[in-house]
Amino acid sequence: MDLGFSVWLIAVSVGASALGGALGMASGIFIVPLLTAFGGVDIHTAVTASIVSVIACSCGSAASFLEEGLTNIRVALVLETATTLGALSGVLLAGIVSVSLLYALFAAILLLSAWQMLSRRGQPDVMAPAAGNVPGDWATALRLHSAYPDQAAGSDIAYRVQRLPLGLGFMYVAGMVSALLGIGSGVLKIPAMDTALRLPIKVSSATSNFMIGVTAAASGIAYLALGEIDAAIAGPVALGSVAGAILGARLLAVISGPALRLLFILVLLALSVQMILAAFGISLTGVDL
Amino acid sequence: MTALARHPRLERRLARFLRLGTWLACLVLAVGFTLSLLDPDNGAGLAVMMGGIGLFILLPVLRVALMLATFARERDHVFALVALTVLAIILAGAVLGMYLAG
Repeated sequence: MDLGFSVWLIAVSVGASALGGALGMASGIFIVPLLTAFGGVDIHTAVTASIVSVIACSCGSAASFLEEGLTNIRVALVLETATTLGALSGVLLAGIVSVSLLYALFAAILLLSAWQMLSRRGQPDVMAPAAGNVPGDWATALRLHSAYPDQAAGSDIAYRVQRLPLGLGFMYVAGMVSALLGIGSGVLKIPAMDTALRLPIKVSSATSNFMIGVTAAASGIAYLALGEIDAAIAGPVALGSVAGAILGARLLAVISGPALRLLFILVLLALSVQMILAAFGISLTGVDL
Repeated sequence: MTALARHPRLERRLARFLRLGTWLACLVLAVGFTLSLLDPDNGAGLAVMMGGIGLFILLPVLRVALMLATFARERDHVFALVALTVLAIILAGAVLGMYLAG
């Protein structure tokens, strides 16, 4: 292993993960563009390395959310049937889809993330009380409705889970995109949980985070069996990402939100331009694609 | 509301398991990384790092297995079946990968 390159991999992962973590977002979305554009890493190798780092980061933060009582593990398990199935479809697709299309899809996801960051709501909207309580609906039969502790209110806030089949459909797509691009797909999961299942935002972030590990593990195992994981790249990236996530959580308390959000959006936009150019085979950094 | 989707004991166990597993996998990765820097020509460091990566991939899978065991013990048959389905899909991914690799 080349010492300089290893140190570079760790530094990039720490930076990406700290920036993502400070905003409560996964770092996976930065790793692949940085590795391909500046490290000359093949996109498939970058995607599989990113998958490993996504698992590493999700396991640590999932533990904290569980302790706070925000994760709905029943909803997570039901949705994981769809995300893991999607992940397998993604692994199959990854072998077929052209590299240009992968870059283009990545650019689209980066733009979507930037847009989401721009239009992010401040406070969770108040839940519609038990609207459309259809007798015999799936969520009730599976006992998915729950409550989460709210510090501001000082009590538990109850919520009902709605439109489960639609939610499952969204999760299948999220799992597929996760396996294809090596990202956690929180960018797709959280809005799906907000709009389809109508989960409170805190619950959907925590539950999405919990599911990301299993989703990424489903594609990770397949990529491992395929021999597509390069330990010399995935190892340092995972180590750096975990360190960065811890650092990011500390930074969250120190740095002002708006400035960080602006930086995040600018980085997303810059990387999406990079990825669009890469889709057409143009390299700005002089690195062979 | 009577039956909330909360499992406080299981949730605490899962949190402990994931936290411990993350540290363990990181430790293995760090050892492998150090080995491969000290002796770049020897494959041992890379092999240890691969072990750490495998451990990370295994963590969420074992987490589902832990949920399966708990739901089965609590005679929550529907959720034991859901957990089993998730495990079966993950296993199918491993088999698929090996099959495609030839």
